[in-house]
Amino acid sequence: MANWQEMMPSTRAYLMDKVLYELHHKPDHLEAYTTDADAYLARFGLPDDLATAIRSNDVAGMYLTGVNPYLLRAHCIGVKIPEAESLAALRRLLDHEDYNDG
Amino acid sequence: MAEITGIYTASHTPVMLNFPDNIPAALKDEIFAAYKAMGDDFMAGKPDALIVLSNDHLHNFFLDNFPAYCIGCAESYESPIEHWLHAKRRTIAGDQAFGSYLLQNALEAEFDPSFSMEMVLDHGSLTPLELAGVDPDLPIVPVLINCVQPPMPTMRRSYNLGKFLGQAIADYDGVERVAILATGGISHDIATPRMGMVNEVFDETFLSHMESGDVDATIRYATDFVHTAGNGCEEIRMWMAAMGAANGAAFERTYYKAVNDWYTGIGIGRFRVS
Ligand SMILES: [Fe+2]
Repeated sequence: MANWQEMMPSTRAYLMDKVLYELHHKPDHLEAYTTDADAYLARFGLPDDLATAIRSNDVAGMYLTGVNPYLLRAHCIGVKIPEAESLAALRRLLDHEDYNDG
Repeated sequence: MAEITGIYTASHTPVMLNFPDNIPAALKDEIFAAYKAMGDDFMAGKPDALIVLSNDHLHNFFLDNFPAYCIGCAESYESPIEHWLHAKRRTIAGDQAFGSYLLQNALEAEFDPSFSMEMVLDHGSLTPLELAGVDPDLPIVPVLINCVQPPMPTMRRSYNLGKFLGQAIADYDGVERVAILATGGISHDIATPRMGMVNEVFDETFLSHMESGDVDATIRYATDFVHTAGNGCEEIRMWMAAMGAANGAAFERTYYKAVNDWYTGIGIGRFRVS
């Protein structure tokens, strides 16, 4: 597999990046998200499938949007998705033929 | 005329601070001791300033404006920026005059870095400094390379930037002794299906190339095979820059282990510059 899903962010990836970035860097955003995820996500006007992936902590679903992996990783730790759970969700996407040992 | 007292390369990962006990205690102690040994070695060179070659992980920089290279020109740097990083908040001294000198000379030399007087350092800079036990009063100049958001600068361009830095440091009159810490890599995947599957074959081959002293072969291998070793491996751009600054000095690895439960090939090395 390649190191990156997108060599230039698509608009869908950008929208995901924007939410995950602001959520963990802007004052009070994490609290607003934790208090009412739907209301918080509504601020961004995301397509429904993207908002659903974030709200339901669907790590594999978020990954597949093309989101920047560092923002996804920080989000998983930042909203305390258990390590084993995020790792397993990502690993299930691994097609063995994808694994390139150089 | 400043003397370069040491050039070091070392991996970094927030896992070292957040989930250190994901690996057996003996292995953790061995790795932490290897970082401490690196710190002792470079403090023994009595540097007056430290250049930290590292990368931001989308904390200071976002898609509104993403620099390929950025030089820190602040009087001090707060760290960490991650609200979730298990690290004590601290302030690291900056060498503003040195940063400004490097920035202006880079532009003269036809590199076009951005600069920042507001950087808040993330785990990429903080983790190795913390584990190495570096005195927070030792003034630093952060030089950040985009390794986290394609499109990114090439391996060769990063080597050339390092070569420029080595020469510019040697020509600088503001301090006498300068150490360089280049941090990132080696093989690791962040939030991909391969996360936790370190490519040890890549790391061994890469380190052997570094040790061979064959700069062109090393840059070619890094360029052609980085895709087999994970998005985190893109951070070997900092190793390229260190190799440029070393200007032909021999490299030796001081530690390597593929640590799957920290998701990272942990590598530490130094160039024999003095
Ligand atoms: Fe990193």
